Amino acid sequence: MAESLDFDGLVTAYYGMLYQFAFSLSRDEAEACDLTQQTFCVWASKGYQLRDKSKVKTWLFTTLHREFLGSRRKHNRFPHVELDLAAADLPVVAPPSVNRLDSALVLQALAQLDEIYQAPVALFYLQDHSYNEIAEVLDVPLGTVKSRLTRGLARLHQLLTSTQTHPPT
Amino acid sequence: MNREEAKDILLLYRHHNPADESDTSVAEALALAKRDPELAQWLEMHCAREFVLREKFRQIPVPEGLKEQIISEHAASRRPAPRGRQLALTAAMVVAMGLSAMAYWLNNRPAADDTLPIYQSQMARNALNPYPMDKLSNDDGTIRDYLKGNNAPADYALTAGLKQATLSGCAIEGWGSNRVSMICFQTGKPLPAGAKSDLWLFVVDQQSVKDAPVDASLHIARINRLVTATWVRDGKLYFLGLEGEATELGKYL
Repeated sequence: MAESLDFDGLVTAYYGMLYQFAFSLSRDEAEACDLTQQTFCVWASKGYQLRDKSKVKTWLFTTLHREFLGSRRKHNRFPHVELDLAAADLPVVAPPSVNRLDSALVLQALAQLDEIYQAPVALFYLQDHSYNEIAEVLDVPLGTVKSRLTRGLARLHQLLTSTQTHPPT
Repeated sequence: MNREEAKDILLLYRHHNPADESDTSVAEALALAKRDPELAQWLEMHCAREFVLREKFRQIPVPEGLKEQIISEHAASRRPAPRGRQLALTAAMVVAMGLSAMAYWLNNRPAADDTLPIYQSQMARNALNPYPMDKLSNDDGTIRDYLKGNNAPADYALTAGLKQATLSGCAIEGWGSNRVSMICFQTGKPLPAGAKSDLWLFVVDQQSVKDAPVDASLHIARINRLVTATWVRDGKLYFLGLEGEATELGKYL
């Protein structure tokens, strides 16, 4: 199947969104480039195993996420942040204040989430993945995706509110 | 369903994503919002916030040249795989028929993926990733002798700023069938653990890089984590980079 999909066309269609997902996870340009490139290398060698061509996008994101987890096991450098399980009663970030943030600050807030919330939140905002697609990419049940998203988004909003209240010096 | 329950459900609602609305609980919460002005106001603010956040994620810049690099490295790494006699025979015929044309093409025209952005991206990665220094020396003559002895460009011209910089050594990189001289310097700033240099000059034959500048003008660009300058002089393409700001790079130009 891989042979019937044009490699250059596939790269053109997906490299940007894959890079953005990789950068959301790693916050490092060189690492994100490597992850993106490695994803297509894996596609070149194993993509033929994919029988359903409509799943290419999910396959690529799944592969990139696995590559990231593999590299992360080698470099365990992400801090663990306890999440308040009470998602309710969290403050709402008004649009004007969010609008003053730049992408770097949003990613900085994302980095402060517990690891298990980072990937679903990034996929939620990038490319409009459906909940089922996110579940497939992360290899977790649909209900788990929804609960992680609920908590992850609530925590992200809380952090962004905090950023607005206490801007970095 | 009450208002607070609806808010919990709508927290995951993306109004631009039709799939979200197909969820029955979302549809029920949206219906409630139409009847509840306070919930409707909350939903409007929520959607506006989510739209902005989504845009922030999508504004993550993608490095220039990444696509070309992926495609070119894939092309370079492809090897004929055993797929039966028919494919082998076809490959043999193609090789036989195209050998002459390919030889001409290789000798007279840069490959389609030998473009300047790919060259710059590849060299930037060479600088940023751990690399073995072929020759450790802070002596210009020693470095040039080493490069010359290994058929890499050695008669390059250093800028006034680079003449004042501290040399740390050199390496020889590949670019197609050409050799690239990688001359390494130290800016004087504290180096990361294990690093031996933080300023790199790459020199290659101008003709080996498609779309290389044809005039002597200076091209400044940020590539990967490097701020870089590219120029040509006397048939050679120069590519200088460091991690920092353009003003800092300017001291070496």
